Amino acid sequence: MTSLLGHPAGGEGIGYSFSQPTAAPVKQHGFYPYTDNGGSTLGITGSDFAILAGDTRSTSGYNINSRMVPKVFKIGGDDETGEGAHIVLSVVGFAADGNALKERLDAVVKMYKYQHGKPMSVSACAQRLSTILYQKRFFPYYVTAILSGLDEEGKGALYSYDPVGSYEREQCRAAGAAASLIMPFLDNQVNFKNQYIPGSGEGHALEQKKAEPLPQATVEQLVRDAFTSAVERHIEVGDHLQMMIITRDGIQEVFHPLKKD
Amino acid sequence: MADRYSFSLTTFSPSGKLVQIEYALNAVNQGVTALGIKEVLISTYRSPSLSKISLVTPDIGMVYAGMGPDYRVLVDKARKVSHTGYKRIYNEYPPTRILVQDVARVVQEATQSGGVRPYGVSLLIAGWDEGVEPQSEEASTEEKPTTKTGGILKGGPSLYQVDPSGSYYPWKATAIGKHATSAKTFLEKRYTEGLELEDAIHIALLTLKETIEGEMNGDTIEIGIVGPPADHLLGFEGVEGAQGPRFRTLTKEQIEDYLTNL
Amino acid sequence: MGSPFDINGGACVAMVGKDCVAIACDLRLGMQALTISNNFPKVFNYAPSTYLGLTGLATDVNTVSDLLRYKVNMYRLREERNIAPQTLANLVSSSLYEKRFGPFFVSPVLAGINETTGKPFICGFDSIGCIDFAKDFIVSGTASEQLFGTCEGLWEPDMEPEDLFETISQALLAAVDRDALSGWGAQVWIIEKDKVTQRLLKGRQD
Repeated sequence: MTSLLGHPAGGEGIGYSFSQPTAAPVKQHGFYPYTDNGGSTLGITGSDFAILAGDTRSTSGYNINSRMVPKVFKIGGDDETGEGAHIVLSVVGFAADGNALKERLDAVVKMYKYQHGKPMSVSACAQRLSTILYQKRFFPYYVTAILSGLDEEGKGALYSYDPVGSYEREQCRAAGAAASLIMPFLDNQVNFKNQYIPGSGEGHALEQKKAEPLPQATVEQLVRDAFTSAVERHIEVGDHLQMMIITRDGIQEVFHPLKKD
Repeated sequence: MADRYSFSLTTFSPSGKLVQIEYALNAVNQGVTALGIKEVLISTYRSPSLSKISLVTPDIGMVYAGMGPDYRVLVDKARKVSHTGYKRIYNEYPPTRILVQDVARVVQEATQSGGVRPYGVSLLIAGWDEGVEPQSEEASTEEKPTTKTGGILKGGPSLYQVDPSGSYYPWKATAIGKHATSAKTFLEKRYTEGLELEDAIHIALLTLKETIEGEMNGDTIEIGIVGPPADHLLGFEGVEGAQGPRFRTLTKEQIEDYLTNL
Repeated sequence: MGSPFDINGGACVAMVGKDCVAIACDLRLGMQALTISNNFPKVFNYAPSTYLGLTGLATDVNTVSDLLRYKVNMYRLREERNIAPQTLANLVSSSLYEKRFGPFFVSPVLAGINETTGKPFICGFDSIGCIDFAKDFIVSGTASEQLFGTCEGLWEPDMEPEDLFETISQALLAAVDRDALSGWGAQVWIIEKDKVTQRLLKGRQD
């Protein structure tokens, strides 16, 4: 685990108590403004919905800062509660940067609505988020973001980002501390990777199982299974599962308990 | 002529003998009688403080005929090798045969090394082994075509004798020390296959009575048995999977009981 | 240079089912990002129903598997019986701890059925022999994080041999596909009492 607060050892040589002072004492300064606050996020889309989820634990090192720091936010809502929003953003990594990024995007989406007189589309918001991230190319927001909503056709849309703005639309994505645990599980259970249709052929003729959008109940269960699994094996994940379910009727936010150990 | 070859152990006599080993056997044959029947070890003439029957591992014990000091050195080495050569490697105690082989090696090395003399003892080592195959009421007769190596598949008690030369023999019943020959003749007559532990103790005591002079009571003889796990000797209870020692010595009172029923 | 455990790549996993166990490994051998071979099995047989998987530095995988082959052969000759999984576990542990201050860079995984009790047994080790007794599954290798995720998500208690095969295969393939240093085919052993089935999985070749 990268410690962002660690100071590099001063390269001043062996300090004998009787040593002669060197000509010019050199002192190294370090500035490490980042912390990894752990946690994990996960998004899966369906034909007419999208689910973005994250745990609510905040850590620094082996410390638990809080058991209730949400990582998933409604973007561009009408009021403090985010009522009326149709886009959801999850951020995992350095929580302070995540918060700042969320605030920025929220403001941008609101300004867009005031100026254009219509809500920002998810694809436009996705492009704008990329720009925001890239603007800080040499002092990045230390976060992995996932943006989600419904596209122009009403289908679930999900965009995943790296800290400097590379992005891609996907069916599903896990990010954060337990991404490496959850992602292969999703490959297998959402996109049916490595699954073949029994008796469809021999060798190369064997037919792959087609990935099709899953029903909402199935996806909800997958998300919960993914997180209970991650909690079991990753110390930075736990406490509560926050889920944002985006449908044409709006955004439903639910919390489920996770193990607190 | 013989004493010309008796200085160095590593020198054979022209007749092909290592006479020091023969002398060691003489020491054994003057020693106090000890006898064993698979699951019972018995020794006579207990001295008040030094017991002749020793525990080596929880399931294996031994007794000797010959020189007491040499025996105690061997007990120490047997206990040590059962850990260094086995328990510290496999986290389990050695099977009886493996321990016997390890002890026999120690004894043999004393016949081929410089500056040492052979051990003046013969040992009887008795122990109980877990079988490879699960324990069943009746041994199944059908042979399964597996890759079994042909070793101890059944498990159960076993008895071995180790001599000063380092040779070792498995026995159903045997005796060492003074009167060993007559004791063995007696055992040969009385031993039957599949003896119960109680019967074995009885026969062992009878043999002893027939062959040795002197009084037999709880002070003069010792009995060691290989029986069911003695969980009461663990010193604790309530630990799942813990098993008491199978080898244990009988108390003075228990011996007296057996003797009155003789 | 990176960790010796990550130079050659590779993954291994063992799982418990109902009266059966399974062990599986990938087939890749690499040097950093360069793949050298796609036929480097990491699971070795030490008794009729006892298997050991070794991931980590390839040279140590070879050395340790050969060393244990020697030790197990000596055991069989001395004791005239096959080594039990539990006994092998302790042999592996003590052999690794012997090199406490200059360890073999391997993470072994053991799977077997005890001939005497008929009970399945799996365990894992760190490179200096600390045994991890698990009731469900053991993972190791460069894809261990991914394997933890897939196994934790797919494993369930008391699977029959056929289900166990499907589960361990899917868990391994899904995991190695998200690890650049593992993959290139896989081998799976399903161990039942008196029956062992070995299968070769093609998997992604990239």
